[in-house]
Amino acid sequence: MKTLLKLLNKYSYVLVFLVLETIAIVLLSNHNYYQHSRILNTNREITGYIYDRIDGTREYLSLKMTNEILVSENSNLRNKLADISLNKTELSIAEVQRLSYYTPARIVHSTVHKQLNYLTINKGRKQGVMRDMAVISEEGIVGIVLESSPNFATILPIINRDFRLSTKIKKNNFTGILHWDGNSPQQAVLNEIPYHADVQIGDTVITSGFSAIFPEGLHVGTISDYSLKEGNFYSIHIQLGTNFNNLFYVNVIKNYLQEEQRILEEKIKQ
Amino acid sequence: MIRIVGRNIIRFLVLLLIQVLVLDNILINAYLNPYFYVLFIVLMPFETPRWLLLVTAFMLGISVDLFTNTLGMHAFATVFMAFLRPWILSIFAPRDGYEPDTFPRVFYYGFNWFLRYSLVMVFLHHIALFYIEVFHFQDFLSTFLRVILSTLLTTSTIILSQYFIYRK
Repeated sequence: MKTLLKLLNKYSYVLVFLVLETIAIVLLSNHNYYQHSRILNTNREITGYIYDRIDGTREYLSLKMTNEILVSENSNLRNKLADISLNKTELSIAEVQRLSYYTPARIVHSTVHKQLNYLTINKGRKQGVMRDMAVISEEGIVGIVLESSPNFATILPIINRDFRLSTKIKKNNFTGILHWDGNSPQQAVLNEIPYHADVQIGDTVITSGFSAIFPEGLHVGTISDYSLKEGNFYSIHIQLGTNFNNLFYVNVIKNYLQEEQRILEEKIKQ
Repeated sequence: MIRIVGRNIIRFLVLLLIQVLVLDNILINAYLNPYFYVLFIVLMPFETPRWLLLVTAFMLGISVDLFTNTLGMHAFATVFMAFLRPWILSIFAPRDGYEPDTFPRVFYYGFNWFLRYSLVMVFLHHIALFYIEVFHFQDFLSTFLRVILSTLLTTSTIILSQYFIYRK
């Protein structure tokens, strides 16, 4: 007994080390986006509040650019409005059921140069932002809502190694999986395009609509480079439309048909 | 004694805030990420009980994690570094050992000693952190380059801090 205690005393340091590292590993492996965590939600409220305060300064410095973006967005919308009044008859189906609803939000915190980047926005459950909603910017898609607390939400952006999205090439509808290789925040990789597809530099890549999160046809980016991998697939580099270095305002999309599609797909699985 | 504890608590908070509010927002490059907060572990007094070193390292790491949404990652790396600290201190110990009432700083043990000591400590932290972050060995070399470059950046900021903030 005495020797045992002595031994424990001698190695208690190693023991504490092992216990703490185990806790860290458990936290690390449990903390993925399928798990809700109360602690994290409370924490998001607090850190979100702090970031919100700090972000005020950053915002002032970029007011001019933000103005320009808003002006161009305004004119875009005016153009679309003009188109709609011209082709009003074609829209009758869309008017029966509104497919999606846009919530504007401001980014209060973001990381760009890590492997696991996240964004925090200043809209949460109170404003109707729920997990699995799509987030877009004026230039293209941004990411998916991971978790939301009452006033803030965390977004998994394209530039996170955990991000996967089904996308397609606009001109020929070949679909593939978009992911991020962890190098440049301006580039992502598109895999699983078969090699008989006609791929050109400059082709537009859009969302495929297969995932129920993103509606079909949203701009993702353009092809900047491609090579033939071993096997029969291309490895394509995409120049992302969204500039994550300079992102301040986003729109969260609520897709009214998402729930319906999800329920239907789950029925098939059973 | 109380003064040292108080000073360390303040240092803990200040370094944490610098890390999450300033350094995490400075975007240089995917290969250059400064993790200045490890300075806290580097500067802990020599006589700190080893278990206390580990526990504070865990608390520091988890606090950074809470802000960056990477629960467990920084905690793992910081505890790993703190665990190896007594061993590294014994390797770099001067011939007569460390004198009482001194701290691991440039002021007491000179630039060369501090550079070697902090470089090794930061390297250990970064190698754990970056490999946990990518979680596989596929891009071994590009991750290693990231470790090396970030280690150099973090160490330089730590050395600079010795001359600007902790002059004595």
